[in-house]
Amino acid sequence: MWGKSKNAKKRELRIYFATDVHGSEVCFRKFLAAARVYEADVIILGGDFAGKAIVPVLTEGGMLRARVGGEDVAVPEAEWDRLAADIGKSGLYPVRMDAAELSRLSGDEGALDRLFRSEIAAQMQRWCDLAAERLDPAVRCIITPGNDDPVDADAVLAAHRRVECPELELCDLGPVTMASLGVVPTTPWNTERECTEEELGKQISEMLDQVPSGRPCIVNLHCPPYASGLDDAPELDATLKPVIRGGRPSIVPVGSHAVREAIKRYQPVVGLHGHIHESRGAQKIGRTLCVNPGSDYSSGVLRGAVIDIARDGSCLDFLLTTG
Amino acid sequence: MTSSSEASVPSGAARAGASPSTRLFVRQTSGLVRELGIPAATGISLASVAVVNTFINFNAGLTDFAKADMYLPLVAGAIIWLVAMFAYRYLLRAVPRAGGEYVYLSRIVSPVAGSVAGLGIAVVFTYVLSTNAHFAAQFTPFMLSGLGAAFHSTAVANAGNHLTSNIAIAWLSVAVMLIVAALSLFSVRIVARIIFWLIVLQVLAFVVLIGMLAFNSHADFVSALATYSNHPNAYGAIIAGAKANGVVFGTSIAAAVAIIPFMVLNYNGVLYSYYVGGELRRPGRTYLYASAISIGVLVVLWIGVWALLRARAGLTFMQAQANLGLVNPTAYGKITSLSSVAGGLGYGMVLSGDPITKILFATAVPLAEIAVNLAFLTVTTRVLFAQAFDRLLPVSIAKIGERNHAPNVAIGVVVVIGIGFCFLTSLVALGNIVALQSLFFALILLAGGIAATALPLRRADLLATPGLPDDARKTWLRNVALVGGATTLLALFTVYELIAHQSVYGKFQWESILTLVIVLGAGPVIYVIARSVRRQRDALDLSMAMRELPPE
Repeated sequence: MWGKSKNAKKRELRIYFATDVHGSEVCFRKFLAAARVYEADVIILGGDFAGKAIVPVLTEGGMLRARVGGEDVAVPEAEWDRLAADIGKSGLYPVRMDAAELSRLSGDEGALDRLFRSEIAAQMQRWCDLAAERLDPAVRCIITPGNDDPVDADAVLAAHRRVECPELELCDLGPVTMASLGVVPTTPWNTERECTEEELGKQISEMLDQVPSGRPCIVNLHCPPYASGLDDAPELDATLKPVIRGGRPSIVPVGSHAVREAIKRYQPVVGLHGHIHESRGAQKIGRTLCVNPGSDYSSGVLRGAVIDIARDGSCLDFLLTTG
Repeated sequence: MTSSSEASVPSGAARAGASPSTRLFVRQTSGLVRELGIPAATGISLASVAVVNTFINFNAGLTDFAKADMYLPLVAGAIIWLVAMFAYRYLLRAVPRAGGEYVYLSRIVSPVAGSVAGLGIAVVFTYVLSTNAHFAAQFTPFMLSGLGAAFHSTAVANAGNHLTSNIAIAWLSVAVMLIVAALSLFSVRIVARIIFWLIVLQVLAFVVLIGMLAFNSHADFVSALATYSNHPNAYGAIIAGAKANGVVFGTSIAAAVAIIPFMVLNYNGVLYSYYVGGELRRPGRTYLYASAISIGVLVVLWIGVWALLRARAGLTFMQAQANLGLVNPTAYGKITSLSSVAGGLGYGMVLSGDPITKILFATAVPLAEIAVNLAFLTVTTRVLFAQAFDRLLPVSIAKIGERNHAPNVAIGVVVVIGIGFCFLTSLVALGNIVALQSLFFALILLAGGIAATALPLRRADLLATPGLPDDARKTWLRNVALVGGATTLLALFTVYELIAHQSVYGKFQWESILTLVIVLGAGPVIYVIARSVRRQRDALDLSMAMRELPPE
């Protein structure tokens, strides 16, 4: 009930899992620190690492002007580092530009998209370098994408020697094999990595069918299983506004049926999920422990999960963390 | 995926082509639904307050204090919540997502303090579930009397007379708890619809009552009471009876001050839009407007209804009726069959000439309590979930049912504990349960005040003020601490008033002390046990779950 008895199996592998940091510099630095603080052998960032918004910082007459948190801010140019750090804390990308460039970007979707991709790729490169600099060589660092991450970022991850990105692949973690997939079922926002439930089920099966018989595995699937308690999110109407019922926002399950079916069929030891920030929790589906640590990236808080695995690949214990 | 973390992203500014005036470019990503505006947030706040519960608190004030009047307590209660509103605004700014006091304490004071408070709040909420059920049970005789009058059934009307003993109230409370538990097993959508219609019915009853009091005169009321009671001078007889039994009439400032905690309880829920802070458009501003509007609406409604009650029934009569029913129920019963605890709703019943309004008044409180309990059960189970995920409680408590997608185990746990509290509240002398409930909510408010005071001192980093010069930021942070301090002081004043009036609060007998210890001590005790058991079993150390990660 509370944990395993003293005579139980010894830990062979400790995993630290976090997800949905959405460009937060603070959260990524905490993610790297988690390896030491939680004594993890492997740290996994399970998708949606890219930020969502660019804050244009206008340069005008020696001043920097931006709108941050709904308020207009003006500081001398010398304050750039501080302002950029403040903006970057919550996962936004500060970009210096003049009025002409701001105007051009406002009317040019292609240019804006290119700017986003370049900012995200640059940040990912910085993060990988930081991982190489800060992590103990014995610690494995795995970063896999989620539906909100542009596919271009995969190339940055693949090219870096310190970071592993086993997207849509099996990955040997010692006592267990891990299968990772950041694709999610279709969302109202038409993000970059989406597909139908059928396609998703097929992709998961193709991976898990390759796991040797009897070999324990864990799954790192960005989308949580449907109606698992790890996928509760506000119900939205056709205009993407939250639906209010009984004086409260209506909360509905929005996870994946395909993920749920796959977990029921293959019964991995652990399911690592994210995607739904406010649905932090842990649930058992059959013998599988499914975990969604949730996300509070905009507050600079890193939510995660520590999972201990035994030599035989069984799950010894877990803790959801707030750091 | 969803929106709760888009703290500074105004929705609608999304995607390429955004207006330069927004000064923000948002790419096509999932989430970004921060769309709840002021009207929706105001609706959430008002729906969290049971407007008819004010009659329970009016009755508590009238029976517990001589010379009670409600004007000052209603205004003072509103002021306390107004100050608290600003403190919670800063908390919402620092932690812009769904949560509550234990989340604030976790983040600002210490994770352990937050977990301990979370367990305490879960137990308090379970106790509140039972006291709400108790209120519904207390109103059952009044409900049956009203329904009997509406349907011209003497049998139904008289049935209520057999349901006034403590054991009957205890079993009725259990029945209410079981009804709430059964309704909670439906899907979330159905439960939300049930809550919505129950709220509509109680608000309708309140509005109809205001109309009825407004359109009838004092003489109409006196005459209607005589007819209702089959007593030609029921009005005068109740006042005379009360006088003969030592009831003191009039008003006093001391009594009004002592009643403030009851009226603080009245407004509980009015700030609850902060619980959905993650979904609010421009959270701080929306929350502030929604809360201020809600407090304003409630002040007008409650002061208005109190003024009408004073004008139609008269303060002396209300003091006499509430107290005579309590100190000498036999004498009271000889004059009238009108329930002495029903207050304004009872006066509405007296004035009512048609079955529809009789049914509305008769069922208003029980239906309101069921609505409140349905909402509370959801909150309580979520708090239990958080504790289970922190491994302070068994994870199985958070198990979601495969068929109904409801947290069946958590609901079961809460209902079983709640039923235990139902018997404790009904059968054991716990003092005034309204006072006890006021105390718990004052303590929760105190936790919020402490968190707001500590916020700029311990976690100023959570309050981003980009571009603000250092001196200006220091002044701003000092103001945050002052608002938090003011809330803390007002909450402490409320707690002091409750403890200072033991005749109301109940003497410190072993039963009431034991209940307090169980409720307030549950958090630390469970934390210590859980940590110690996990240590013995060589499991992951609980303290690890709450360790602050260094960002550098």
